[in-house]
Amino acid sequence: MMNQSDQHLEDLQVIRKIMEESSKFLSLSGLSGIIAGLLGIAGAVIAQMILTGPMAPAEWYLKPLAEDGTVTRTVILLFADMAAVLVLAFSGSVLLSLRKARRSGHILWTPVTRRMLASMLIPLGAGGLFILLTLSSIPAGVSASSTLIFYGLAVISAGKFTFGEIHWLGVLEIITGMVCLLLPQCTILLWATGFGVIHIGYGLFMHLRYKG
Amino acid sequence: MKTILSNFNKAFESRVRLGIMSVLAINKSMDFTGLKETLAVTDGNLASHLRALEEAGYVTMEKSFINRKPNTNYTITEKGRESFENHLRALEELLSKK
Repeated sequence: MMNQSDQHLEDLQVIRKIMEESSKFLSLSGLSGIIAGLLGIAGAVIAQMILTGPMAPAEWYLKPLAEDGTVTRTVILLFADMAAVLVLAFSGSVLLSLRKARRSGHILWTPVTRRMLASMLIPLGAGGLFILLTLSSIPAGVSASSTLIFYGLAVISAGKFTFGEIHWLGVLEIITGMVCLLLPQCTILLWATGFGVIHIGYGLFMHLRYKG
Repeated sequence: MKTILSNFNKAFESRVRLGIMSVLAINKSMDFTGLKETLAVTDGNLASHLRALEEAGYVTMEKSFINRKPNTNYTITEKGRESFENHLRALEELLSKK
């Protein structure tokens, strides 16, 4: 027969486990951060190539992306580059989360996952709209900075539902965005830092800390 | 010893009920499907335990419609939170006495 106090101990363990699993998204893999970072660097390199090509004006970061309300081929290429990075990085983290969930016997699509995604989508959507609506009125360097700032806010907002350390990823992204506002000539480099290097650093740290 | 046993709540003897209370103690509210997914139990099992907790006044439910589909949302009551916390304290005390 099971010892009474063993049963109480098990009760407490079950309570703690359920509390944690029902309020935190624990299937986020550190590897997603590394993959997102590599894609971020690749995206920045491609953006650099687009912006130094024959179509690109000098000091592009001082002019609005859609000056005079016209969208040039350069801008379309830049948006395609960003969209590709976003889609690939997001799909990568979904696949890795699925793998991690399967391995640890968790379910991926839970109420807390939905809450996390919703709290991430609000700042991201607001940022996307802000950039589109100011495409012809705000210098390209500022548009680029705001992608970093809004992304940082989205990460902090989603961070309430997952590992606490992700909060610092968001803070670093916002700081990088602010530096980018002050040094618009370094926009591409700061983009590669924010979406690349910082993601890789975060991913490595989480991978080593939580083994997955 | 007597005080510990009186805090030891019979309503929480079942693991499913303990699970429901744990989820609702930490989340503002959760719907039936969410509870079912989190606790990995069957509809019937969950419904009967929820009914028992509701009759004890530990949880309340609110029915609504989302996209014309019925949705039942559960929230912990003040009384439920107090009893659950007392129960947790009693569990911890029992273990530390050993």
